[in-house]
Amino acid sequence: MSASVIIFYCIAAFILLTGIAAVTSRKIFRSAIALLFSLTGIAGLYFWMDVNFIAAVQIIVYVGGIVVLIIFSIFLTQKSGEEMPKPLVSRVLFSLLAVLSGLGLIYRLISEYGFNNISKQPFNVEVSEIGTQMLSTTEHGYVLPFEAVSMLLLAAMIGCIVIALKASPNPSKGEA
Amino acid sequence: MLNDFLILMKQELVITIIIFILLFIKIGSKDWKNESLLKLINVLLLLNVVFSFIGNQEGVLFNEMFRTNDLISLEKGILSLGTLIISLSSYSWLQNHKHVAEFYMLLLSTLLGMFLMISGGHLIMFYLGLELSTIPLAAIANFDLDKRKSSEAAFKLIISSAFSSGLLLFGISLVYGTTGTLLFSELAQTLTGTPIQIFAFILLFAGFAFKISVVPFHLWTADVYEGAPVAVTSYLSVISKGAVLFVFVSVLYGAFKPLATTWYNMLFILSVLTIIVGNLFAIRQNNLKRFLAFSSIAQVGFILIGVSGSSQTGTASVIYFILVYIFSNLAAFGVISFISAVTGKETIDDYKALYKTNPFLSWVITIALFSLAGVPPTAGFFGKYFLLMAGTGIAGSKGLIIWIIIAALNLVISFYYYLRVVKAIFMDANETPIQKLSVPFLPKLAMIICVAGIVLTGLFSFIYEYIFSLSNGF
Repeated sequence: MSASVIIFYCIAAFILLTGIAAVTSRKIFRSAIALLFSLTGIAGLYFWMDVNFIAAVQIIVYVGGIVVLIIFSIFLTQKSGEEMPKPLVSRVLFSLLAVLSGLGLIYRLISEYGFNNISKQPFNVEVSEIGTQMLSTTEHGYVLPFEAVSMLLLAAMIGCIVIALKASPNPSKGEA
Repeated sequence: MLNDFLILMKQELVITIIIFILLFIKIGSKDWKNESLLKLINVLLLLNVVFSFIGNQEGVLFNEMFRTNDLISLEKGILSLGTLIISLSSYSWLQNHKHVAEFYMLLLSTLLGMFLMISGGHLIMFYLGLELSTIPLAAIANFDLDKRKSSEAAFKLIISSAFSSGLLLFGISLVYGTTGTLLFSELAQTLTGTPIQIFAFILLFAGFAFKISVVPFHLWTADVYEGAPVAVTSYLSVISKGAVLFVFVSVLYGAFKPLATTWYNMLFILSVLTIIVGNLFAIRQNNLKRFLAFSSIAQVGFILIGVSGSSQTGTASVIYFILVYIFSNLAAFGVISFISAVTGKETIDDYKALYKTNPFLSWVITIALFSLAGVPPTAGFFGKYFLLMAGTGIAGSKGLIIWIIIAALNLVISFYYYLRVVKAIFMDANETPIQKLSVPFLPKLAMIICVAGIVLTGLFSFIYEYIFSLSNGF
């Protein structure tokens, strides 16, 4: 077993353990912190695969953005110090069963397929290349999805504004 | 390139332009009255319908990420028409709403998402279109701003759609991992049906099933339909379901053609479950919106029979049925939406003796329910007939007769609950019936269009023949 493989298993174990901590912790704030570590672990996995840009994006977007948002909303809405009620034993049993059978199924499927027949051609992961492809219209250009996402964000913002305006009893003019 | 772009993406561009016109109206300094704004919007939507039916061409753009042909243009035209009808019939509700421009911006964004999804030749485009067509919809499900049920509906919709998107994305990533491509045209050649690909397909299928609320993925439907404003409910049950079904057919017949036996069996099990559960639950509903929610679940079960046909008849019957279904369901929802906006009454008991006070509304909803049940000579009968015919596979001779028998028996059950409403309207006595209501011009126009659609699409055979000539099986 080479060093690279050992590192992979270390990172994978880290992700899994922090992930389990995130779903089993009874304090919601601790869950959020465990999730933070789990997402950082995934960034580590990307570094291990030598896709530095994706790893950086993972850290900026998920660790820096989404987890901070989650923590913000926990502080705004929940009593973060309180423990959540203990889950029912039957519920724990059934979720354990579901997790184990899911694991078994995926393991079986992946080991059977083997992923050996995928061509190991090197791929270009320079940031400039990614940027060009993102906005190009030719082969492997992703400008159309990019524009679709921008419409999605516009719509999401409009929706948020309207729903958030709900609280004000007498809306002022020029609210959008 | 630019010319191609302008011509082939015409339908998407028109909608984008309308969205931006509304955006500029909203952020401009002029204060628009709701009435004049609604009139402007309805004219724009009418233009959109006209544009989407004329001057369409075939072609492929952006390296197969976007493709269009006569069939796809027709599907988009049908959806545009349905949106116009919904807009007309929700006039009474929107008249007093303070966010009309935003409502239409979000509504049209979802329509744009559906167009991109229908035209998408790539799983990424398909996924983005699907998201664009559900996330704004969750926002407008919340547009009855002071009702808790409306917020609940929005929340349930966004959570369940996030869950289904999760399944879908997992499926997509497994497909990409095993084939190395996401283009539909290449998938059709590279998929081989190994267990992991079948698993990926099941996940994708579950994502679809959530959106069209196939049993057992239907649990969100009734609550969301009940809580959301009626305009949004009708949009959810007709337009967004129709769009996903259009894509469903083209994805199954195109990209996942190599897995045909797998999805034929899945369709069989799910459609039988869907029809039976939808029917049994529809029988016990008293709220009309919940009632129509379960009836629409059962209808989807019938549509899946048509999908299983995998022939030219299969495609044509599904598209034809959705056209008919848009007219019938929107007529029913139009009446319910109007009565609910004016009086706030939504249960079947409230509708007792409606005929005594409001004969016009009674006839509209009755014809709509007859069409949903499939009583000849309404178009609903022909729609169901073609679906079952596609399912028996006269052309391919591989239909399961048991399946058709179960469906036919369930058709009889569905007569019971549709006609229960008709009986309440015409025969039951009621001491406090809904008072006499005068229907404004635009909702009335919408109802008349729907009734005309129900009667005429059934009687004029060239509509079905035209759809049939554009369709393709495999």
